[in-house]
This record gives sequence, C-alpha cells and structure tokens, in this order.
Amino acid sequence: MGHHHNTKPRVISRREMLGLSAGGFGSLALMSLFGTMPLGCKRPGSFDSASNLYLGPHYLPKAKNVIFLYMDGGVSQVDSFDPKPRLAKENGEDPRKKFKVDATQFDNVGKILKSPWDFKQYGECGMPVSDLFPHIATCVDDIALIRSMVSNFPEHTNANYFLHTGSGLQGRPSMGAWMNYGLGSENKNIPGYVVLDGGLVPPGGLDNFKNGFLPASYQASVFKAGPEPVANINPREDIKNLQEEKLQFIKQMDDGLIGKIGEADAVESAISNYELAYKMQSSIPELTEFKEETEATKKLYGMDSDDPNLRGYASQCILARRLIERGVRFVELTCPNVGPGVDRWDQHSNLKKGHEKNAHAVDQPIAGLLKDLKSRGLLEETLVVWTGEFGRTPFAQGSDGRDHNPSAFSMWMAGAGVKGGTIFGKTDEYGYRVIENEVTIHDLHATIMHLLGLDHKQLTFRFGGRDMRLTDVHGNVVKDILT
Amino acid sequence: MGFIFLMNGGILDNPPDVVLFFGRFHPVVVHLPIGFLIMAILAQLATRWPKYKLLEIYLPLMWLMGAFSALLAVVFGYFLSLSGGYDEDTLFWHQWGGIAVMLLSFGCYLINKKSSKILSIPKWTMVVIVGLLLMFTGHMGGNLTHGATYLLEYAPNPVRNMAGLPSKVVPREKVTVLDSADVFLDLVLPMMQTKCVSCHNEGKRKGGLLLTTYADMMLGGESGNTIIPGDAIKSELVRRITLPMAHDDFMPSEGKLPMTDQEVLLIQWWIKMGAPPSGYVTQLDKEKTLTSLVSNYLGLDKNSLFNKKVPLPNQAVVETLLGNGFVINPLMKDNYFLEANFSLSEYDLKASDMDTLLELKEQLVWLNLGNSNIKDAYLEKIGLLQNLVKLDLSGNEITDHGLKYLSKLENLESLNLYGTKVSKGVLELVPHLTRLKKIYLWQSEVSKETITQLKEQYPGLTIIFERD
Repeated sequence: MGHHHNTKPRVISRREMLGLSAGGFGSLALMSLFGTMPLGCKRPGSFDSASNLYLGPHYLPKAKNVIFLYMDGGVSQVDSFDPKPRLAKENGEDPRKKFKVDATQFDNVGKILKSPWDFKQYGECGMPVSDLFPHIATCVDDIALIRSMVSNFPEHTNANYFLHTGSGLQGRPSMGAWMNYGLGSENKNIPGYVVLDGGLVPPGGLDNFKNGFLPASYQASVFKAGPEPVANINPREDIKNLQEEKLQFIKQMDDGLIGKIGEADAVESAISNYELAYKMQSSIPELTEFKEETEATKKLYGMDSDDPNLRGYASQCILARRLIERGVRFVELTCPNVGPGVDRWDQHSNLKKGHEKNAHAVDQPIAGLLKDLKSRGLLEETLVVWTGEFGRTPFAQGSDGRDHNPSAFSMWMAGAGVKGGTIFGKTDEYGYRVIENEVTIHDLHATIMHLLGLDHKQLTFRFGGRDMRLTDVHGNVVKDILT
Repeated sequence: MGFIFLMNGGILDNPPDVVLFFGRFHPVVVHLPIGFLIMAILAQLATRWPKYKLLEIYLPLMWLMGAFSALLAVVFGYFLSLSGGYDEDTLFWHQWGGIAVMLLSFGCYLINKKSSKILSIPKWTMVVIVGLLLMFTGHMGGNLTHGATYLLEYAPNPVRNMAGLPSKVVPREKVTVLDSADVFLDLVLPMMQTKCVSCHNEGKRKGGLLLTTYADMMLGGESGNTIIPGDAIKSELVRRITLPMAHDDFMPSEGKLPMTDQEVLLIQWWIKMGAPPSGYVTQLDKEKTLTSLVSNYLGLDKNSLFNKKVPLPNQAVVETLLGNGFVINPLMKDNYFLEANFSLSEYDLKASDMDTLLELKEQLVWLNLGNSNIKDAYLEKIGLLQNLVKLDLSGNEITDHGLKYLSKLENLESLNLYGTKVSKGVLELVPHLTRLKKIYLWQSEVSKETITQLKEQYPGLTIIFERD
C-alpha cells in the first residue's frame, strides 16, 4: 500500500491553508503567474494564468480602490446638484411651448415643475447644493461634479447594464470585474469585488455585477445587510475536521477532472471560489463586527440616527471603508429600501417625499465616509463615485413626479486624482439637455480606469474573436476634472 | 485619347480647378479596376474546373467592367498628376503601368468574347500579365501616396534588407534629463516627423521640399528660403506654420494636425539660434528662458524620479518579501517601480525585513507600513529608501525620535502619520521634505499650536489633522 500512499494528495491543514493565504500564498496561485509578469516579481491577487496579458497598472495609478455609491433609480439633477432658477419662474407652464419634449417612458408630460428644495453655495469653491444633501454639501471642496452626463437608455434595466457594464444588454462583465481582472485583489481572504446590498438589487438583477466573459473569479460577491452578510459564513458542520475533509475531497475530485479535461475556467474558478469561501469564514466575521470602531466614528456616519434606513446605509458605508482598508479593489453600495412607493430614487410621483426619504438615508453616511476616509489618508488612494443611471425631467410627470431623462444628469467623484471643487459640463436653462462638455458612460468608465492606472484601450479580453474592452470602441478620459 | 488633347491644349502648366477636383477622385476610383480585375482573373482561373464552367459567360462582362473603370482611373489619375509634387520616376511607371493595365484589360475582354476560337496560351499569358501589372502599378501608386518606405516600414529586417532598405533604426532614446535634450534631434526633427514628413518625403516632395533630414531641410523647397538661419521671421517655414489656419498657404495643409504654440515657439527659437544641426538645449539657452517650456514640452516637469529607468528588481528579494507577508505590486507597465504593502499582513514585521526592503530602494516608490508594529528604530532603514513618494506609517507606535530618520526622503509627496505618537518633531522634519504635498496627523500627538505653526510656514502643504 505504500506506493499508493505516495500518489495520494496530501491533505492541506487549515493552518497551512491560511499560511498560503497570507501574502505567502505565492507558492500556490502565483505559480501560474510566473513568467507572465514582465517585472519578474509576482503579484498576489491575480488568478489569470490563461491570458498572457500584462496585468497591473499601465501607468502610475492615482487611486487603488473604488467605492461606487449607486443611486439606484435616477436622482433628479435639478433637485440636487444642478440648480435651474428658470424652473421656478416658469413653474406650472407648458413645457411643450418652451422646448422640444422627447417621448418619455410614461409620456404623461405635465407642467414645468420647480424644485421643492432651495440651493445654497458651500465650501471654498462655492458649489451649489440643494437642501436634500446638507451633509454632502460640507464636502464639496473634495468633490468634482459633472453636470453633463448622458446615458443611451431611458429605462432602468438597460441603463443599469450600461452604467455597470458599458453595454445596454445583459451579460457583459461589470466594471468591478474589469478592475479586478486588470489589477487583481490584494487580499486573498476577501473577494476583490464586493457589492454591499443595502436592500434593493437594481433592475437588471445580479447581472449588473457579473463577470460576463471574464473568468468567474472576478464576479462580485454580494454581502447582505444584517448579522449574516454572506450565506453560510459560519461553518454548518459541527466537527471542524469534517468540513476540511469535505473540501479536500471536492478538491481531489476537481483536480481529477482537470487532469482529464485539461484547463477549464469553470472548474478552476470553482476551486478558487471554494478556497476563498473557506478563508472568508474566518475573515468576514472579523470584518463585519465593528469592534474597533469608536463611538465617534459610528456617530459620524449616523449610526445613532432614529431612521433605520440611515443606520443601515451608515453601517454599509463603514463596511465599505473597512473593505477598502483590507485591499478590496471595488466596492459597490446599492440603495436602502426606504419604503413602499418611494423605494429607489425613481420618483414618478411624490417627488418631495420620495427624494427626501432617500436623501435622508444616504446623505450623512456618505459625508461621514468621505470625512473618515480623508482623515485616515485613505481618500488619497480611494476613488468615490456617486451616480444614478440617468436623470429626471425638469417637467412633471402627472402633477408631482418626474420621469426618466437620459439626456442630462449630474454625478460626482471624490478622492484620488480628482480635482476637488470643480464643476464640469453644462445643461440648458431647464436642466433638460446637455449643452456643453457632454460626458458619456463610456467616458466615465475610461476616467475611472485612468485613475486606477489603467488605459481603457489596453485592458482587453479576447472573446468571440475580438479583443473586448469595458469601453468597447468608445470613451475619452475626462481630463478636466483630474489633478 | 483625351489626355493627349489636354496636353496639347496647354492645360498642363496651369490646370483649372475642375480638373484637380476630379483628380482628387483618383484614389477612390482606382480601387474599382483593382477589384473588378482581380475578380475577372480569379473567375477566369476558376473556369478551368468543370464546376465553375458556367462562369465563362460572365467573363467578358467582368473584363469590360475592369477595363472601363481602369479607363476612368487613368483619366482621373492623369488629372491628379497635374497637381504636381510627385516623384517623377515613380509617377512615370505608375502612369504607364496603369495605361497598360487598361489596354490589356480591353484585350482580355475581346479575347474572352471570342474565347472558343482563341488559343489558350496567348489568352493565359495576357491574363497573367494583367495580374502582375496590376500589382506593380498598385504598388507604385502606394509609393506615391505613402512614400516608398511605407510598405516595409515595419517589415522584419531580413525582408527590408532583401528589398535594399537599411535595417530599422532604433528610435532615439527618450529624453529623461533636460541636460541631454538636443535642440534638433529631440525637438525639431521629431516635430517634422510627426507633422510634416507625410507630405515632404522622398516620394512626395510637396513644394519640392524635403523635411526628412537636416541637410534637406536647409536646402529648402521651391522658394529656397525655407529656413534662414538666424532669421525666424523671414523663414518661409515659420511663416507657413504661423498663418491663420484658413489661409491657403497654411501648413500643415488639408486639415492635418497643426503645430502647437509650444512647437512654433521652439522652432522659432531654434532658427534664431542659427538653426544648428545639433546642440544641447541647456547650452544654447544661456539665459534659461526656455527651460520651463522645453521641460514641459518633453514632459520632464513632473517629478523627475519617474523619468528615470530603474533596473529589474531582484527576483529573490521580491520572493523573500512576499514570503514574509508583503504585497508587492508593479506600478507601471514600462518601468519597474514598485509598491510594497505590509498593512494587510497576518504576519509580524521583522527588523530584518527592513534590510530586505532596502535592496529594492531604487524600485520602491510607495510603501505602506500601516498598523505593522513599526518601531522607531526601523525608520532608520526606511529613511534610506530615497525614492519613496508615498509613505504610510499610520497606526504605529512611532515618535519624534523615529521621524528624524526620514529627513532624507526628498521625493516624498505624501506622509501618513495618523494614529502615531509623533508630536513637535514634524516641525523639524517638514523643512527637509521639499516635495511634500500632504501630511496626515489626525489622532497623533501633534498639538494645535504645532499645526498652526506648520500651516503658517507651509501654506501650500495640505495638513489633515482632524475629521470634521
């Protein structure tokens, strides 16, 4: 039996497994990388042995991580960051007599509707912000505002796919997957692309966060709010050895399969996902219990609020910071569910109540996040992106709502490499269309990648006979908002 | 023969606009006979197989289409040649090659129309000759538009040598220090190459002017006063590039990318200095009036550290650090600058790791030792990592005593001391760090008074010391 024993794979102990995971994991996953790195040094975090592409930044990065604050449903630009006094003057008049009105989703075009909120100027830069965001307003000197965003789609699902994947159709890799493909993750115990589910999965579903044609390891892991953010994060087996032996058995089977059929992404990604899941059982509880967070920090984010939605979003923002601190490349926060009828920013009616509820839930946590990141020196290497999938019409839908408007919306970025206190682009006097410095979703993607040191034209993946890019054949870096 | 008539009409010297207008259609129209004739040749070959025998009845039509479009291309080509500026030898062969293709195509048409009666050998000879002539003429045409070196520009050297071309020149090394910038080789010549030589080359010679080498530039074109050393204003080249863009004489013409203001200034200065064939900018520019312009033009005004090419890091050293719990990342594709990060490690930092880091002192520009139990004594080695641009020491029990070691980090732009025990020591450190832009002091022991003092002394420095 002795010779049989020699061919049997050695069981890796938990300790060894953790040893492999901590920086020293070199020997395992990095073996495959050897030779693909022009530097002669190996880079943790990359699973990409299949392609011979250079991985890592193309040029000196400004940002290392991204926190993507997704304002699901479409925030109204004329009620948040793009004041239009003319709406107040012409409130109640027929918009069709003033300008050409495009077909809208519900085509229930009402009268010109002034903003229910006042705007004030903030910071040294004097950026006007509406009363919806009194906390974010205190951070304007760190914010670069783009008022000239446009989208290709007037409807949520397509617009969501477009914003997340650069294509209006389902099935393309999400930008977070692209960033991880290009740069890898720095922490082997936590996935490099995490979506913090605040309670609402955007229309289009989880396909907004998928790997598409990229290897499956790059897809997002969705963390839920609450005591068990990841399913089965506590081992279900009573006896510890049992789980380890089960995993070892699965690995043996998988290795055997690879031996038979050769390299296959589906199997290899499954193996690495199992390994990662195992490591997460120890790394995630530490991450999601905020033991080291001081009361002052929790308060800064608004954890002491009476509004449960605000508390929820605050804890997601703290978690986002903690993930960034642990080297997670791309964190996306979805919106909290603030209640029936006003969930998301999609206020086709009842604009005032709906926008107020949504803004109240996210305003303080976001401001807290920006301030906390800044004071710790993390804002210098983190890009914070705040955007919806499109904007809203300056005229009413019905009497008190606003319909979708892909022809103009506002978004902002803050942090690494972004020129704080700048306003870029311009809309017409109604905030209905862009009239100066139009920025497309592709331009936004190109800019985010640029800040991470990635040339959006160089980061490609061969699929279907073509070198695919996040920006397809489009995209220009918006240089004017960069330092 | 229409064009002979035109020649006799004296139109040759001064062609009317309408002729030139049609001439410009030559590059479009010329692709029709190429396509039709290749189709005819292939179809002709295919008829040798029984399966394609039925194509035979279409052959005359294909040849006729080829022949007529060739006639059109010949006429337009002749019109285009009247605008002048083409290499005469190449033009001669291109023109007569084109005419021959046209005539032979008509021949093929006639033969095919009466195919059954014609002997196979002369027919096939003609078809093959049309094919070869088509390639030859097309190639000559390519040489006329793109220059004779265009096709083989990127060919492997053996192929280039076979064609009698020299091996590819290794491009001049990118300027990394201002002192090594040559006024002609690094400034003027590259401008000519990117913006001028597509028209002013051996094959095209627009206006009789060649801008490929120094000697040809000084020789000038038809006007002869292209460059008058010492007199920028009188130099035709300067006049042409400084005219309003809408002006007929403006160069580069036809919507090609114009010279930038910086480029115009540099060319003017070069001519004023006597238009030397070479010479260091910094030696010619005694008053240093151009230093900032040139370094900006060459992209040298950023932190000069990154213009330096650093050697490949020692593989064994990188292995050791990875094994000890560091994350090591490359920071750019065409250079070996690195980032090292220990803040994520589950291991304990060892004093010996500092020595290992030192072996990467040329490559290391970002170092994150946050929450790594760094001791003051460790900073002695960290202070020798002269290329550090970003240093994160947050969350460590370090004091002013350790800070002293950091005073030689002259490339440092960002220093994170959040959550450390440093206090007044920063006042002594900051003056040494000439490039410092940001310093993080939140939750350190630095007092309000010290912050005020720092702010007064260094108004340009971003000091982050509180959270709200």
